[in-house]
Amino acid sequence: MAGETLIEVKNLKKYFKVPTGMNHAVDDVSFTINRGETLGVVGESGCGKSTLGRTIIRLQDATDGQVLLHGEDVTTVTGKKLKQVREKMQIIFQDPYSSLNPRMRIESTVKEPLRLSGRFHSKAELQEETERLMNLVGIDKRLRASFPHELDGGRRQRVGIARALALNPEFVVCDEPVSALDVSIQAQVLNLLIDLQEQMGLAYMFVTHDLSVVRHISDHICVMYLGQLVEKAPTKEIFENHLHPYTAALLSAIPSTDIFKPMQRVRLNGEITSPINPKPGCRFAARCPYATEACSQPQELKEVGKDHFVACCRVKEIN
Amino acid sequence: MSEKNTFLSVKDLEVIYTSGKKTVKAVNGVSFNLEKGRTLGLVGETGAGKTTIAKSILRILPDPPAKLVGGKIYLEGKEINSLSEDEMRTIRGGKIAMIFQDPMTALNPLMTVGDQIVEVLLLHNKYSTQEAKNEAVKMLEMVGIPGERYIEYPHQFSGGMKQRVVIAMALTCNPVLLLADEPTTALDVTIQAQVLELINELKQKYSTSMILITHDLGVIAQTCDDVAVIYAGKIVEMGSKADIFLHPTHPYTQGLFASLPSMTDHADRLTPIPGMPPDPTRLPEGCAFHPRCKYATEKCKSGSVPAMELTPGHFCCCYNNTAKEVS
Amino acid sequence: MAIRFGKKQKGEDEAERTSVLWETLTRMVKSPSAKIGTFLFAFIVIVCILAPVIAPYGVNDMDLLHLKEPPTLAHPFGTDALGRDLLSRLLYGGQYSILLGLCASLFGNGVGVVIGCIAGYFGKTTETIIMRVMDVWASIPGMLLCILVSTVLGSGFFNTVLALSIGGVPNGVRMTRGQILGERSKEYIEAAQSINCSKASIMFKHILPNVISPTIVGTTMGIGGTITMAASLSYIGLGVQPPTPEWGAMLADGRSSMLTLPHLIMFPGLVIACFVLSINLMGDGLRDALDPKLRS
Repeated sequence: MAGETLIEVKNLKKYFKVPTGMNHAVDDVSFTINRGETLGVVGESGCGKSTLGRTIIRLQDATDGQVLLHGEDVTTVTGKKLKQVREKMQIIFQDPYSSLNPRMRIESTVKEPLRLSGRFHSKAELQEETERLMNLVGIDKRLRASFPHELDGGRRQRVGIARALALNPEFVVCDEPVSALDVSIQAQVLNLLIDLQEQMGLAYMFVTHDLSVVRHISDHICVMYLGQLVEKAPTKEIFENHLHPYTAALLSAIPSTDIFKPMQRVRLNGEITSPINPKPGCRFAARCPYATEACSQPQELKEVGKDHFVACCRVKEIN
Repeated sequence: MSEKNTFLSVKDLEVIYTSGKKTVKAVNGVSFNLEKGRTLGLVGETGAGKTTIAKSILRILPDPPAKLVGGKIYLEGKEINSLSEDEMRTIRGGKIAMIFQDPMTALNPLMTVGDQIVEVLLLHNKYSTQEAKNEAVKMLEMVGIPGERYIEYPHQFSGGMKQRVVIAMALTCNPVLLLADEPTTALDVTIQAQVLELINELKQKYSTSMILITHDLGVIAQTCDDVAVIYAGKIVEMGSKADIFLHPTHPYTQGLFASLPSMTDHADRLTPIPGMPPDPTRLPEGCAFHPRCKYATEKCKSGSVPAMELTPGHFCCCYNNTAKEVS
Repeated sequence: MAIRFGKKQKGEDEAERTSVLWETLTRMVKSPSAKIGTFLFAFIVIVCILAPVIAPYGVNDMDLLHLKEPPTLAHPFGTDALGRDLLSRLLYGGQYSILLGLCASLFGNGVGVVIGCIAGYFGKTTETIIMRVMDVWASIPGMLLCILVSTVLGSGFFNTVLALSIGGVPNGVRMTRGQILGERSKEYIEAAQSINCSKASIMFKHILPNVISPTIVGTTMGIGGTITMAASLSYIGLGVQPPTPEWGAMLADGRSSMLTLPHLIMFPGLVIACFVLSINLMGDGLRDALDPKLRS
């Protein structure tokens, strides 16, 4: 199932024009995702992780770079071809409150993509497929005529998942799908996502700020800081042998549930700054405890171990 | 918890919300004591009634729809829920202060942050304007914001900085009790760590007592002394941090811990609590958790489950409370 | 609105649609104030339609023995300077005024909503151009615009509707666009995009039902103004021509003798007020009925 490259992102850039200059929301990001695997993308708010997901699935147009789906560039396709591409790449949103149309019954929400796909010729088939999907994600039949506000967050998120899966996608961007949910519900939704991945051979790009969730679900992890990847490695490697100082700081900041292990956090000064008109060089340097002169040079993502990439010129000296 | 050290005591608190003909029991007979200088963590899911408890202590529940129907609140031995609105106003912001979840909406966007702190100071103290200004600058510096930023407006601050301002405002009058309602939920992890550290430092410095409301067990583990687990408006388990984290006894508490993805070992699947939180307009009879509980028996389905003391200070509302100890 | 646009969608379940319409109506009448509004509205409309049957006098019958008479048994609302029965004229006048007010207000705001949707959804240059045109449009006094169009097109019912509605367009555009700006960034719009919804479908099926509420209220509030504006038009010899009775015109007629013959402005004023009130109450009810969050 795994192994075959499904998505290849090459030097993807997404800039936004803002009154004070150019916002480098996604800046030269490259990675690949294999069929049936999950790539976790971790970072703090404003690091461009959501924009990255939306740019890949063409909800936003890339400024530069390529996204290859089965080896074919999709960043410039239009018209009918774009429709086909969108059917293969879907998204699950963060906020189960704003991601469903409040004036549509949930059954219509699930049915809409099916109807638009034109795959079904009779109402009975359409209805059957809608019910299959709702059943698949575990929404009770009696809720089909409900409006979104009548459901709790977990059920709403299931509706969002059913809508995303309606078009039989191969790749799904999960944009913080569980961060708005309570822990007990969060676990249910995560389990559902894992089951669906196994059944349908889906590839996920799992965008989140929650490191414990990403550790649980991902095969590989990318750590993003201000629009750039700073570290990329298999999940185990990131947690056991992280090399970039930002990754270390991020991991140490998670409050542990072990009451005998007080926080030993790597002290970071200041806060994440904005990616508007960034200077060349390491964007983390301003907060980095190890920054030197050399950090003002552009940093390249270099392979330091098997499948382990780090963008830090001082990686050898620090670790 | 010895009676003489008890500084805040809440007894049988009951709050209902009414909308139309529906009545929602938001808080259902909650009692707890808080000792001076200690931090109590209230943990539970959305809608469990955590925020309502804090708001009823401060008496800022929106009435209607909310209504305090029963219970007594004692602060330093004095009953405060029978005080007049005027007396209450001096307690609010003076003796008790609250930090809200969203720093973006807790500040007035049209006033400089310094002026907002001055406003609180002048309301509760007999300062001259100049003295109050100096004091406000001191407060800002205490939470790690340079005094020059006194004249800046909230939009010029980042999320973490705004939450610091909110904390500074809450601490201006040296409150004896701080109510923090999800103070770090809206913040990024690295910023959350900074803010939690700040709260811990300040708490030790001024020996302020605190009630911290959160759904994040990690935050509880790092900041609290005592923990109360709330489900459907009731405290189902309460004890010291060690009691709750090392010997979780109530099936709901155990379920919460089991649903967390672990940071240390790898399991393929998580073990969520089955089912959904109950509809607060139709709470199940008996123990509200019984429809989701794998240990539930006939006995659990009727009558209220009394709190049982397992070890000194560790209370649990569950009949099935002896056999399960977590290694 | 939601229902109308829903009809355009192919493959929608027929039964479900009628039930939605029926449900909306029944829910609308549930709130007491909307109930009063609906009954008042229905009453006024029905008696005006039945004017030829129930009016005690003809529309232009002059009773020369009772000129400028305050209310009596024979003339319950009194008579005007030409001895015409006020009640009968109000009943006949309603036929014009109601239709004129409703049509002009709906048409003006309807056009406004469509343009506002386009501006708000497409944004960028389209929005800039539309909004600047609207700024210019709105800066011309409504009355002047109305007179201009009326003069160019001449009198007649449809021309008057057009003339009256044209001033209301920028308002509708601004209101809709403002609402859409708030709604556009919500994730369900992106979700619709990612399942290949067409732009028209996103605009009218997803966004519009969520932004229409303030416009419904705005439209109902505008009807009263439109009726009085129609009066001003006839006053200066445009729009509906005398002796055709029309509420606003009757109000304007009575203005000169307001102190001596108060009944001449009191009754038309009262009727207009009742009518506008009924529409406002109904509009509120409709807005609430269309919002699924308010159903219990």
